[in-house]
Amino acid sequence: MVLESTMICIDNSEWMRNGDYSPSRFQAQADAVNLICGAKTQSNPENTVGILTMAGKGVRVLVTPTTDLGKILGCMHGLEIGGEMNITAGIQVAQLALKHRQNKKQQQRIIVFAGSPVTYDKKALEAIGRKLKKNSVALDVVDFGDEEDGKAEKLDALIASVNNNESSHIVHVPAGTDALSDVLISTPIFTGDGEGGSGFTAAAAAAGGMSGFDFGVDPNLDPELALALRISMEEERARQEAAAKKATEDASKQETDGKQASSSRDVGMAEAVSSSHNDLDKKDDQMDDETSLLQQAVAMSMDKLAPVPSSSTVIADADMSDAVDQDLALALQMSIEDSAKDSSTDTEVNKVLGDQSLMSSILASLPGVNPDDPSVKELLGSLQRQSEDKENEDESGKKEEKQ
Amino acid sequence: MSIASTIQRSQVDLQDFVDWSGVECLNQNSGHSLINALKQGYRDDDGLHLESDADEQLLIYIPFTQVVKLHSILFVGPEEEGPRTVKLFANKEHMGFSNVNDYLPSDSAILSEENLKGKPIVLKYVKFQNVRSLTIFVEDNQGSAETSKVQKIILYGTTVETTNVKDLKKIEEH
Repeated sequence: MVLESTMICIDNSEWMRNGDYSPSRFQAQADAVNLICGAKTQSNPENTVGILTMAGKGVRVLVTPTTDLGKILGCMHGLEIGGEMNITAGIQVAQLALKHRQNKKQQQRIIVFAGSPVTYDKKALEAIGRKLKKNSVALDVVDFGDEEDGKAEKLDALIASVNNNESSHIVHVPAGTDALSDVLISTPIFTGDGEGGSGFTAAAAAAGGMSGFDFGVDPNLDPELALALRISMEEERARQEAAAKKATEDASKQETDGKQASSSRDVGMAEAVSSSHNDLDKKDDQMDDETSLLQQAVAMSMDKLAPVPSSSTVIADADMSDAVDQDLALALQMSIEDSAKDSSTDTEVNKVLGDQSLMSSILASLPGVNPDDPSVKELLGSLQRQSEDKENEDESGKKEEKQ
Repeated sequence: MSIASTIQRSQVDLQDFVDWSGVECLNQNSGHSLINALKQGYRDDDGLHLESDADEQLLIYIPFTQVVKLHSILFVGPEEEGPRTVKLFANKEHMGFSNVNDYLPSDSAILSEENLKGKPIVLKYVKFQNVRSLTIFVEDNQGSAETSKVQKIILYGTTVETTNVKDLKKIEEH
């Protein structure tokens, strides 16, 4: 996220008509420029980018460094090809444009697209390079066009004289390979010295046809949606893990609870317990996540008969899971029916619990209410706590009665 | 040396008032940076010095945290590569090598051998009464070497704002 002001020097000389880069050198260059502008403005919102052309009638600044991406992309239209590239003049004008940037805290960078032969000799280029280094301007060169006559060496020498701490780079792009932009994406010109730009390169890669996104949503196009999706996925996963854990715990507890219930309650209740236990076994055979939640619901209905503090948490979990509504509603219905059966021997506790399950089923069916909503959770939790307290009171009350 | 002591008496090393976040040096060698010459601890270490990179010129920009009056400046450097012609600009921000010659310096000095050993250069005090930032331009060095090296830079002066807060603290301590 380096705060940077960049001037891009475009080659619009006659050599750019060549079709060795598809569709033409000029088009490939334009695409690459668009991508770079996007990457720069994205890695830091305060980055500015400017554009100038080096060939034609003379060096011409199309856009002074600005944060407005639309303006930058707009000026790329209607550019004419012609003339010869004047690389030294282009770099010097770029340096001048950077010198008069508005935010002096920005680092200065020049990106040169060299798609035609370089007529200047090495010494001149090195002198330019040293001047850039002295004024702490970084330089990136994209060497394409496959020319002979030592162009690559000259540009290498230029970069060597500018380079300070690996901030300047040169990329040689041979003809005939993939698009210029694709080659550039993996280079340090894009990735900006290691950090920044990598998020954008992922987006650019996606634009290029590969989709690396989990949710089919481009984080760069819609970051909030991608974030919301990711968080809900993680929440769901965590919840399911907790539910699975609870299910295994309850599976062991249910057996003991079942025994207690049968020993201390009516035969009818024991039957209910055993029947639901059988159901539980059946459900154990299935491998769905929803069955584990169903187990919880059944456990809830069963545990409700033998009030145990842990059950209330199971109830809470069962209520708050976002499983298939039908199964849950069914289980809740069962529990409600059970509570109706036991209404004769019901203590206040069971009524409250029944009400709670009834309430939660109502809540779940309400269109506007999301059971995952923290405020709803809190409400249910407080209810559960109240019911717990009542349970404990009743338990102690019962024990006293028995004794 | 009574003269030297009178100079030092009212003046304070302005190192404490330097705004380190804004300190810049153009054309410095990244391995030998301005901090080596300016900051306490670094500048006393003989192994560390400030060195120029592409050529022998250096442009040093030092902002201060408050307004100061600059009295004198001290350079320590090697005989051959130490700075010779030095120009000082007060309150000129973000200068570059290209516009260094466009402005008249607030003061300039040609350093002698003695200066490089540690004799401070007394400046035109009247020109440095209200200094928010200082730009030091090292134009060339003693022996016309490829690069210039500076061991130590010390600025002497006083602050314009009253330093009452500091004094108050001291009183409270005792």
